[in-house]
Amino acid sequence: MGALLSRLNPQSLRILGLLAVLVLVVLFFSTQIPHYLNGRLFNRISSSVAIMALIATGQTLVILTRNIDLSIGSIVGFVAFATGGLISSHPDLGPVLLVTYSVLLGAAFGAVNGVLVAYGRIPSIIVTLGTMALFRSALVEYSDAKSITTSNLPHWLVNFPNTVLFQIGQYQFRAAFVAAIVVVLLVHFMLNRFRPARKLYAIGSNPEAAEMAGINTSATVFVAFVLAGALAGLAGFMFLARFGTITVVAGLGLELKSVAAAVVGGVNIFGGSGSVIGALIGAVLIDLIDTSLVRWDMVSEFWREAVLGGLILLSVAADTTLMRRLVNLRISREKAKFSKARNVQSQEVAE
Amino acid sequence: MFREEKMRLFNTLGITAALMLGAAPMAFAGPVQIEGGKNVNMVLLPKFLGILVFDQANDGAQEAHKELKNPGELLFVGPTPENSVAGQIEIMTTAATQGQGAVMLSNNTGDQIVPSAKAAQAAGTRVITWDSPIPSGEGEDVFVAQVDFGSIGKVMADMAHSILGGKGQMAILSATPDASNQNAWIASLKEVLKSDPKYAGIELVDTVYGDDQAEVSYNRALGLVDKYPDLGLIMSPTTVGIQASAKAMQDEGLCDQVKVSGLGLPSEMVSYTMNGCAPEFALWDFRDLGYLTYYTAYGLASGQLTGEIGESFTAGRMGDYTIEEDPGRPGTKRILMGPFTVYTSENVEAAAK
Repeated sequence: MGALLSRLNPQSLRILGLLAVLVLVVLFFSTQIPHYLNGRLFNRISSSVAIMALIATGQTLVILTRNIDLSIGSIVGFVAFATGGLISSHPDLGPVLLVTYSVLLGAAFGAVNGVLVAYGRIPSIIVTLGTMALFRSALVEYSDAKSITTSNLPHWLVNFPNTVLFQIGQYQFRAAFVAAIVVVLLVHFMLNRFRPARKLYAIGSNPEAAEMAGINTSATVFVAFVLAGALAGLAGFMFLARFGTITVVAGLGLELKSVAAAVVGGVNIFGGSGSVIGALIGAVLIDLIDTSLVRWDMVSEFWREAVLGGLILLSVAADTTLMRRLVNLRISREKAKFSKARNVQSQEVAE
Repeated sequence: MFREEKMRLFNTLGITAALMLGAAPMAFAGPVQIEGGKNVNMVLLPKFLGILVFDQANDGAQEAHKELKNPGELLFVGPTPENSVAGQIEIMTTAATQGQGAVMLSNNTGDQIVPSAKAAQAAGTRVITWDSPIPSGEGEDVFVAQVDFGSIGKVMADMAHSILGGKGQMAILSATPDASNQNAWIASLKEVLKSDPKYAGIELVDTVYGDDQAEVSYNRALGLVDKYPDLGLIMSPTTVGIQASAKAMQDEGLCDQVKVSGLGLPSEMVSYTMNGCAPEFALWDFRDLGYLTYYTAYGLASGQLTGEIGESFTAGRMGDYTIEEDPGRPGTKRILMGPFTVYTSENVEAAAK
């Protein structure tokens, strides 16, 4: 067991741990709720997690650099509304143009955050707390108290999220879910195989050392915020397609849910470690528990939030304990090896 | 009992008697005619900005403002959605320090606004609530009720009865757990279901909250369907919840099985009513609500109305109204607007335009 622990890298260990928790949660609720384990559950969770997966991925990119983006919910809301407004007035626009518009608009909002944090040297929690309110107020102003309604949207857009791409038994793989998974995997691949992307980890682990190593920290942090904005923009597009009716409250609270998904998914809030796959599983876990609690008679409406909050604390605590043990284990092994080597050396000297 | 009798007498009092505060009823005259041209600065304070129904209320208030030729200012200010509770309290406090004549409030804070509302009253600002009252009634001059809160329960029960054919399971999807208007309506629905044998076949199985957000409401609606396989109807007394539920049922192809009803905006609900997902829903006119609220607030702030129970006045194009005790909140005062419009496939398209 110890050998296995030290051979696996902490990243994979975390993901294995999360998957185990996921399975436990599913098993637990299947004993509590009748007709629980079936394709319907999978379809519910997969459709609803598609949007959060994108937002949590964006949030993870920012957290990796030892920052946070609290404006991400407002960006999702604004982009959803603006994209809805655009397609309502220009119904002939194609999917490619519309998605590009959403992503660029989101990236523009991200750039505002990025400039202020990376070049203005203002702490991200302050910047994005401000822009969260600013972007939301901009939406209130821009919306003119009108709502985007489903009836003004083209059919291809409204039907997109629930189009079944393929089906295994009862398990439907719908377009929005598949698209979100593809994006998450793409980002994961980049983070692990693409050299410039490793800078995000370097900065989060130790900003001073990264600077000394010749990494342009400002540019990298800026790019992280722009990417987070772009992903939030894409999420805004999906939000519009899924919910159809968009008002000024769209996306309210998603910023904290995305932070929760990332943290539950093992992304270190102090930056430098974590993976977007972890954040994705974190998002699935939170969504699963939330959905299941609604169907579970034991927990009343008012306790649900508290249970969710408890889960977040629990997972962070578990993560910290696990990592500390692992580090101690490694240190003691290294020490053992070192002292063995020294014993051999001193014996040689004596002889 | 005695008090109610007196109320009725007061009902018929006219301008002179109403101005003679507390005088014994002696004259028989018509309701107070609100006179225009007096300078009163007023604030219309919605739950938050950016929602169509509140904008419609503002249109109505602006109409009354012009009609009464008030040389003062009518401000439409509200918090942003993420800051609703703190923002409302702040705006109330500011209005008092600015010496506004009246604040017209759609309360989203429960009783949390009471201290600042009381301070505003002490500073000479009239506090008139509309749409959603202050639950305890403290710090509030009068509440302009869109419809009788008791009758909302009756209307919802009737819609449920007609959609379910008199028999079946129903669940409620509300806004936030501390929205005082929705909570009062749900209580009245439960009361109606219990008291009239006509509704004996309707079983209310659950109440959940969608926080007035599309995504939460959408997921809650699906959660209800999963939890209760025999569910026939989701009743949502909020414009956000009703359309999110209808969308969820449509997306999952469940409209044949589970219908949606409640309180909704025709422009947002038209497609769901036409395709049978939400065959019936109801609402009142928010423009009229804003108009009547303005007349009430203007009358009180300009000293033409005293705000006593039994006092009647004429609110421009809408006719005569009387201040009465609020049956839902004993010891507080209300003005009842009414009525409801129930929308079906017959009339929804015209209303959505």
